[in-house]
Amino acid sequence: MARLAMLIDLSRCLGCQACVIACKAGREIPPGERWIEIREVVVGRFPELRGAFVPHRCFHCAEAACVQVCPTRALYKKDGFTVVDFERCTGCGYCAEVCPFGVPRIMDGRVSKCASCLDLVQMGWEPWCVQTCPAGALQCGPREEILTEARTRVAALRDRYPNAQIYGETQMGGLGVILILTEPPEVLGLPPQPQMPPLALWKGGAQPLSLGALVLSVITSGIAFFIARRRHLEENGARKGSEPITPASETRKE
Amino acid sequence: MTLTRREFLRRLGAFAGAWAGLSQLGEPVLRFLRARQIRWPWYRPEEIRVTYNYCDMCMWRCGMRVYSVNGRVVKVEGNPKDPKSRGRLCGRGQAAVAHLYDPDRLRKPLIRTGERGTWSFREATWEEALDRAAEALARLRDQYGPESVAWFAHTTGDFWFGDYLPLAFGSPNVGKPSTGLCLTPREIAAQITFGRGVGGHEPVDWENTRYIVLIGNHIGENAHNTVMQDFARALARGAKLVVVDPRYSTAAMKAHRWLPIKPGTDTALLLAWMNVLITEGLYDREYIEKYTIGFERLAEHIQPFTPEWAAPITELPAEVIREVAREMAAHRPRAVVPPGRHVVWYGNDTQRMRALFILNVLLGNIGRPGGFYIPRAPALDPYPHPPFPVEVAAGGCGAAAAGLKIPDTPGHPPRADGVGSKFATGPVVIQELIEPMITGQPYPIRGLVVYGVNLFHSIPNVPRTIEALKRLEFVLAIDVLPQEHLAWADIILPEATFLERYDELWVASHRTPYIALREPAVEPLPDTRPGWWIARELGMRLGLADYFAWSDIEEYLNTRLMSVGLSLEKLREAEGIFTWSGKPYLEDYGEGETPFPTPSGKIEIYSEALARAGFDPLPVYEPVEEPPPGYFRLLYGRHPLHTFGKTQNNPWLAEVYPENEVWINEEAAAALGLKTGDRVILENQDGVRSGPVRVRATPRIRKDAVYLVHGFGHRGSRLSRAEGRGASDNMLITRYRLDPISGGAGMRVNFVRLIREV
Repeated sequence: MARLAMLIDLSRCLGCQACVIACKAGREIPPGERWIEIREVVVGRFPELRGAFVPHRCFHCAEAACVQVCPTRALYKKDGFTVVDFERCTGCGYCAEVCPFGVPRIMDGRVSKCASCLDLVQMGWEPWCVQTCPAGALQCGPREEILTEARTRVAALRDRYPNAQIYGETQMGGLGVILILTEPPEVLGLPPQPQMPPLALWKGGAQPLSLGALVLSVITSGIAFFIARRRHLEENGARKGSEPITPASETRKE
Repeated sequence: MTLTRREFLRRLGAFAGAWAGLSQLGEPVLRFLRARQIRWPWYRPEEIRVTYNYCDMCMWRCGMRVYSVNGRVVKVEGNPKDPKSRGRLCGRGQAAVAHLYDPDRLRKPLIRTGERGTWSFREATWEEALDRAAEALARLRDQYGPESVAWFAHTTGDFWFGDYLPLAFGSPNVGKPSTGLCLTPREIAAQITFGRGVGGHEPVDWENTRYIVLIGNHIGENAHNTVMQDFARALARGAKLVVVDPRYSTAAMKAHRWLPIKPGTDTALLLAWMNVLITEGLYDREYIEKYTIGFERLAEHIQPFTPEWAAPITELPAEVIREVAREMAAHRPRAVVPPGRHVVWYGNDTQRMRALFILNVLLGNIGRPGGFYIPRAPALDPYPHPPFPVEVAAGGCGAAAAGLKIPDTPGHPPRADGVGSKFATGPVVIQELIEPMITGQPYPIRGLVVYGVNLFHSIPNVPRTIEALKRLEFVLAIDVLPQEHLAWADIILPEATFLERYDELWVASHRTPYIALREPAVEPLPDTRPGWWIARELGMRLGLADYFAWSDIEEYLNTRLMSVGLSLEKLREAEGIFTWSGKPYLEDYGEGETPFPTPSGKIEIYSEALARAGFDPLPVYEPVEEPPPGYFRLLYGRHPLHTFGKTQNNPWLAEVYPENEVWINEEAAAALGLKTGDRVILENQDGVRSGPVRVRATPRIRKDAVYLVHGFGHRGSRLSRAEGRGASDNMLITRYRLDPISGGAGMRVNFVRLIREV
């Protein structure tokens, strides 16, 4: 499947939170846990106010810090989304630590964050949140089409919202959730340029390195063991005169 | 802490009780409660059984598809064929599953054993509970006449307990909160002006409108699905939006202009807008000539009401008032001022709604694209039954008595709500049925059947309601959840939720008339029963068998459907919805055919009927009482995830929005030394206090008012999640101003002060 993305148009969102409940219902998310949160932002002084409803949810970064640090590969990228294999998750919490948006949580010993509705998309349905949104503020489709749509909408919105802009086109390698903002991101509580946190970079680099070191040490200790054993057997054989053990049976024993 | 033997035994007992209670919940509820596993991937299509329903999480009645797997409902979705939901649902609709499996649901018929109000009940069989209920109702009927029993009903099963059974029983005292506590002034104003009510679904032609003016109309917080859809799309198409509201509402967030009007002065603003349209010659002359009468009198009447006159009253700049009027005119007829819902504000509400309608008429938008379309209802025959002993006078959201004439049933006593003396006309107003329970005037009401109405969260002046409940000889409650007023019942009958039952068809007056099916997705939880079954069992026991000639609900529905050439089978094949074509615009009406069945056959700007009845024939502004120093006007409204007082216990909805806050202007809060998160008690002008509630200090509200989301502050219920959370606006509404025309209870006349909780 092509690289997918979702569109969330803040100029349309009415803050009704149908998405929040649809997600909870459809994914049968246990009590106390939610994958979408809607934050109400209002700025200014009475009566000169501006406001918007800002979604707080997994934005499905292309260069996803959570995927980088996940030691069990319970988090992985598929068709543009950051998918979760809940069976594999051990609840270590690295993802929660590194997410530049502060999205994943650890609940009930495993990660809690939007796992995408890729299963539904594959059935030809829409993600639960998109499907139900009364305001029609959400869409899901190939990322290129979503971006084109977003550009058209932003151009049309400039009249009403001079600060209208796209968010997520480039951030974190390009988000899987493209937002149409009515105000600059910092006004709406979004990081204008979210960064891959040092821990993720370190993990990203350190993990392969340490894996290499691990493999190397296994190999060297294997060789050392083999040599030591041979010498040991030779010494024993010389003493008791028993039959030498073949390498094949040796591997089986281990 | 040492654990005494007594304490240990008490705890053990409580634990055993809780365990026994839980194990009685039944498998689907337990599975719902224990769910720990994320459902990813979702069920395979072949596992899923689809049934059709219309939603009951609010009264909007969106068509839904219900997905069940192995006898358990797993998800609901909007039915794409339904003209209201169009495949989408709001958050409350999405939470229907959690309503169905709410572990607090009533599970057994209950019969009172102790004092009223103390929750002293014993479990009973249906047989016993029904026999006793019918016996009590029959005794009151035979001794005092059927009018001695009042019937209160709401939610979508109210057909059985608010329309059918009480009328067969013979009581004219049937009240629904949707009338005097919500829509009555709007419906009566529309009746007077257009000869027809607005109807439950406001027929705003959102699709074609270019300019929208909302007055105290909380779209987005009021999460009526279709309206949110249409509103969002209208804005996306570039329609301009003006929001008039003392509070920076969700709708105001989307507006091009927010007019933070002084509460209670809306009629002055409406009159000033009319003044500009008329004096500057901006109104639709041709339309006025062709479709209306009484314009000249209005033109004269309106002269003094200039924007300069309205400015100090409304606290809005005259220039802004003028500009908005001109913009409206520039977009007419594709400019619309929707009437909104819950219009019972200040007791002069019929006149305010008349002003609003006349403003729309000046824009020439009634029956025109971009204004209001003209809805039609499908013509289904009722199931054949003997004539009712009394006229249908109650009516739901849309129903209203024609003009100013109240239907009388010869040989039967009149309604007890004071129509004709306390107020002039309209359907029964529920809040005026409380007084006769206490005073016996005009005659005593001795019994009450209450279905799906939370008496303490809908009817103002709760102390009075409690006084009435103490005096009633018999109270029967039918409900799904153990709401607080049930403690006052003699018998409680547990109803199945809408997902577990058939119901009366939803016959919708709409742009495209349609009907919708409600069929059970799963078996009712053990020992709960559908409303139709309860009504029929009571009816049979009350000697009303002739009214229940059908043996089961399927026969009932099939008979009704036959009158339009349908059957249950065909309606199911049509995916639960059947639609006809409508006549939405004036151009769809031929010569000599009028969509305005007033006495004159035209839109009546000047109302002879009102003049004859001694009321102002043209709307006037009358000032409302101001809050005393130190007090704020109490305003209230909705949260998109909650409906009235009925969803606060829903496991999912309670999780996302568990309790309300009191909104107060940030400067006013600072002056009181309060900040967001502080806990306060609200005390009203009569010294009545709310429970503790958190402060939300915000720039989003004027300094003269505070705001609460309605429906919270349940006290004395058996609702484990909702009990004690937040403050109840209705508890603080100890007084109201009765609209002398329609009997609507104007409730924004209460004032509160904030007391820091110590």
